[in-house]
Amino acid sequence: MGTQSGGILLKRTPRSFLVIAGLLALSLVAAACGGGDDSGDGGSDDGGGGDTGTPVAGGNLSYGLEAETSGGWCLPESQLAISGIQVAKTIYDTLTAPNDKDEYVPFLAESVEPNEDYTEWTITLREGIKFHDGTDLDATVVKNNLDAYRGAYPARSPLLFVFVFEDVASVDVVDDLTVKVTTSVPWPAFPATLYGSGRVGMVAQAQLDDPDTCDKNLIGTGPFKLDEWVVNDHLTASKNPDYWRTDADGNQLPYLDSVEYRPFVEETSRVNALESGEINGMHTNDASSIEQVGLGKEAGSLGEVKSDQFSEVSYLMFNTSKPPFDNQTARQAVAYALNRDEMNTVVFLDQMTMASGPFAKGVTGYLEDTGFPSFDLDKAKELVAEYESETGEPLSFTITSANSAATVQITSFIQQKAKAAGMDVNLKPIEQAAQINTALGDDWQSMYWRNHPGGDPDTQYNWWYGGSPVNFGKFDDAQMNELLDQGRTTADQAERATIYEDINKLFSEKMYNVWTNWSNWTIGTAPDVNGILGPDLPDGSAPFPGLATGHPVSGVWISQ
Amino acid sequence: MSDHLPYRGHDEAETTGIGLAPSAMATAEAVGIGIGDTIPEGPPDAEHKRKLGIAAWIAITWLVVMLLLAILAPVLPIPDPTETFPEIARQGPSSGHLLGGDALGRDLLSRIIWGGRASFAVGFGAVAVGLAVGGLLGLITGFFRGRVDAIVTPLMSLLLAIPQFVLALSLVTVLASADDVSSARRIGVVIVGLGVVSIPILGRITRANTLAWSEREFVTAAKAMGAKNFRIMFRDVLPNVVPAMLSIALLGVGVAIIAEGGLSVFGVGVQLPTPSWGNIIAEARGQLRQAPHIVLFTSVVLFFTVLSLNFLGDVISQRFEVREGQL
Amino acid sequence: MTAGGLLKRLAQLIITVLAVTLFSAFLLELLPGDPVEVLVPFGSDEQREAVREDLDLDQPFIARYGTWLSGFVTGDMGNYYTVSSKRPVWDRLKEAFPKSAQLVLYSQILALIIAIPVAVFAAAKKDTFFDRMSNTTAFAMLAIPNFALALVLQYYLGVKWKIFPTSGYTPITENPAEHFEKMVLPCITLAVGQIAIYMRLLRSDMIATLQQDFILLAKAKGMRSKRILFRHALRPSSLTLLTVAGLNVGTLIGGALIVEVLFQIPGMGFMLQEAIGQRQIVAFQSLVAIIAIIYVIVNFGVDLLYTVLDPRIRNERSA
Repeated sequence: MGTQSGGILLKRTPRSFLVIAGLLALSLVAAACGGGDDSGDGGSDDGGGGDTGTPVAGGNLSYGLEAETSGGWCLPESQLAISGIQVAKTIYDTLTAPNDKDEYVPFLAESVEPNEDYTEWTITLREGIKFHDGTDLDATVVKNNLDAYRGAYPARSPLLFVFVFEDVASVDVVDDLTVKVTTSVPWPAFPATLYGSGRVGMVAQAQLDDPDTCDKNLIGTGPFKLDEWVVNDHLTASKNPDYWRTDADGNQLPYLDSVEYRPFVEETSRVNALESGEINGMHTNDASSIEQVGLGKEAGSLGEVKSDQFSEVSYLMFNTSKPPFDNQTARQAVAYALNRDEMNTVVFLDQMTMASGPFAKGVTGYLEDTGFPSFDLDKAKELVAEYESETGEPLSFTITSANSAATVQITSFIQQKAKAAGMDVNLKPIEQAAQINTALGDDWQSMYWRNHPGGDPDTQYNWWYGGSPVNFGKFDDAQMNELLDQGRTTADQAERATIYEDINKLFSEKMYNVWTNWSNWTIGTAPDVNGILGPDLPDGSAPFPGLATGHPVSGVWISQ
Repeated sequence: MSDHLPYRGHDEAETTGIGLAPSAMATAEAVGIGIGDTIPEGPPDAEHKRKLGIAAWIAITWLVVMLLLAILAPVLPIPDPTETFPEIARQGPSSGHLLGGDALGRDLLSRIIWGGRASFAVGFGAVAVGLAVGGLLGLITGFFRGRVDAIVTPLMSLLLAIPQFVLALSLVTVLASADDVSSARRIGVVIVGLGVVSIPILGRITRANTLAWSEREFVTAAKAMGAKNFRIMFRDVLPNVVPAMLSIALLGVGVAIIAEGGLSVFGVGVQLPTPSWGNIIAEARGQLRQAPHIVLFTSVVLFFTVLSLNFLGDVISQRFEVREGQL
Repeated sequence: MTAGGLLKRLAQLIITVLAVTLFSAFLLELLPGDPVEVLVPFGSDEQREAVREDLDLDQPFIARYGTWLSGFVTGDMGNYYTVSSKRPVWDRLKEAFPKSAQLVLYSQILALIIAIPVAVFAAAKKDTFFDRMSNTTAFAMLAIPNFALALVLQYYLGVKWKIFPTSGYTPITENPAEHFEKMVLPCITLAVGQIAIYMRLLRSDMIATLQQDFILLAKAKGMRSKRILFRHALRPSSLTLLTVAGLNVGTLIGGALIVEVLFQIPGMGFMLQEAIGQRQIVAFQSLVAIIAIIYVIVNFGVDLLYTVLDPRIRNERSA
């Protein structure tokens, strides 16, 4: 088979790099969890995700997804992006779940308790929970699940999760409802890993052991049972009448009778279908679709839940190992030249939040002002001149990016702005699949990129540490390394916040990346659809306001 | 001789060994029938023949203007097609920007003019590939027949067994997925992809016409007089075959321009931000509510251009009495 | 057609399909990169090895093609590969095929229903205002880019005026009304170009037929003109139409690709696009083979029908 440059690159790339790159790819698409912020609250007026009135049972949610998950939902082996997670949250439950404060509280588990030094976690299950096939959720099946995720269950061969659960030393059944997880290192953040952005659902024994149809014969404990999955067409699920959850008033969840998911790869078709009433729910992070949903909300014809917290950040990444961006002046020239407010207006239709740094709202280390420069054309021109006198070379560079129309719109905007400041910019749109390989290599100058979803900032360690293979920008900054190490070993929250705020500022100072925006994931619904963010969690805390890794459907209800 | 088209395939099928019989054979004609109606209606009207109608002049004018704009784009007093003016983003026509702005605030008039450059490059480029390869093969197979014909013609016909857009999409997707296909080279890929698709169609037409002309007395006479085959082929046969080729080629340009737009829907047309008519429409497909003028203006330009090409193809075939059906 | 002729045509069909699939297999060879990297990028080494073996990637090109072919002729169209499983292509195809087939069929019917009466009257009233108008309209319709038409129809008739649904597919067995409603816009998009082709073709064919002796004779006998038009003149001309309708299935299949994407109808075009994008090489090969087979068979059938229907006409025409 053809071993053109792509193949060669793959061959000389060590596999572990690829895996890490894969994790990155996952985080790229899965992104972060946005927060239900202001507009989420505002949503309560029109019913889209709001809590007006008393929930009523019945009805159907027909929901447009941005992609099909053709790999299916054999969860330990899956690589789910937002659409896949959305479906997983419908069929499966996770042991823990985040609340509105981004704390990971017990969900399917009754409690998840650490020992003193965070090396032993005791997971106690709730009594009487049954999978859709009638089998019990007991300690054995949970152990098998966790073993499957970490690659210690013979019937399943995961790869990505092996890395996520690398520090799990053993999983033992204590009694029928108790599982003990021993970790090889102190792991205070283990409950968050058990959630895995909603990917670490508990799968029934029968599905786990299914050699042929594990990916499409879905059996979970979740609020809905799978009825039918026709690839690229629809996936339907009907109410699980024996679901273990009730709402605050003691009403049985879920409210809906059924959910139908339909993949709409075409953004326009998806939002058109919502507007014409063919579906009554959808998710999007496309500016034009968000705008249409917003207009629909204003007109009272649609509901909307929107969020900008915990989002992933998009940015122009510099290759600091080669000219021109091994030169800080050059990097700063681009930063000053980019009119980001205009970018938001023109490219994002004012639907995105422009980023101040890698950490979005809600994330530890977030700062509204990180010292990232505002647009200043004269300063940019000055810097260009400075660069040219310093090096004797004109400042010209190439922006490599994915070749989708939306991405190219962004890069051509950057190109224009850089040109205005006297830089010469070429665009090189490439296949999305080739982008990570290119980034791993050295044959690029700048690249338009999306990464660093919210969550604990320590998860960014590998991306930024000097010498790390996935430090794509190839900077090796002693100060950065020190801060990252400090952050990893510090337990005190306030102290950590300061550390990561320093990292945030350091980025603005050294300008390793020019941040553009955080994604504002938006759920558009028919006006009578409510409860998008879900019911309160079992411990009574309010639901997580995030949207970028899907949202629960157990609390969705339709007004009569 | 009959004067009707689609039946001819049968006779030819017999001459081409494993010919695909009328199915694929006649596809070319189907395209012809569809677009340039080459069927003369009764005796050609003498007056009709002598003068170009007003419609033809309009079509010619339109095409000439479009082509001139496309060629002169770099020196015209229009903004750069990638330069953004935030104030005209998604705004309709205004004094400084006659056709308004696109979603990013790029001058739509400028993008349409530059888009014409890419679209014409694709249209004429693809057809040029088709003519160069298909035309030559058609001429040779039609003129020499025999073994060359028996080998080449079925091979060309095979390409017709895959629906054309399916073939084009597959070709372009494969060719464009090479790692280092830059914007400029993507146009080349599209041209080659669509060009390959047009080879059998143009080859067929050329061959059919060559076959007929090669039977004529003056060719036989030339042969008898000992003229070299290639000389006869290019000096005596080719000029007579050109009108048919030209007529189909004009239609082909229109088809290729539209096909590029189809490819853009799949993201493998001309690479943005380089505009083409097709990718302007595809890129703005989410803007119909906010800024319908982007899709509508560009579609109208595309429509009139293709219409003009079709019309001229039709005029040529009538003026030169290109009756493929009877050849 | 004689038995020998039939046999010969069958042989042609087989050779065509062989050549076409060989060609598509070769095309896939040109794709850069290792397909396994794209199919199961993060699978374990065993999984990847299994896929590699299943796809015969360690075999030479021709051997691989041979394996595919021997599977294909026994009805095994190969598999889709993901990390967790392989799914028979057939499973997906049997869902997708009816959608594309209906799309093509309905567009074809819609186009003929509109084109035939218009063309017949235009031919009968040659050079009248109606004739010129319909001819001009047809000419204009040929220049309409289908993707732009799809967008405009979808937005105005679907979203803005909410007359027709904008996307999706409902099986006819589930809800016939909804089934046809959802087919309206995609079929109009596809039919527009065909209407024009059929109209122009039938009109000129009819005009020629109307000048033939048997029509003149019927006229002389005082037969009603409507009867002459539809019973006597249309019948021979309809054979021409039939042939071209068969050929145009190819155009429709191509157009259906675009329409399926824009109207979110997961048919074969969808599958094809996905197969290229995901490097599902076996699936791609099988799909191209099936499309080619269908296309060639349709025309083979048309041809057969044509001979059966009226050998006299055929002889006369090709004389």
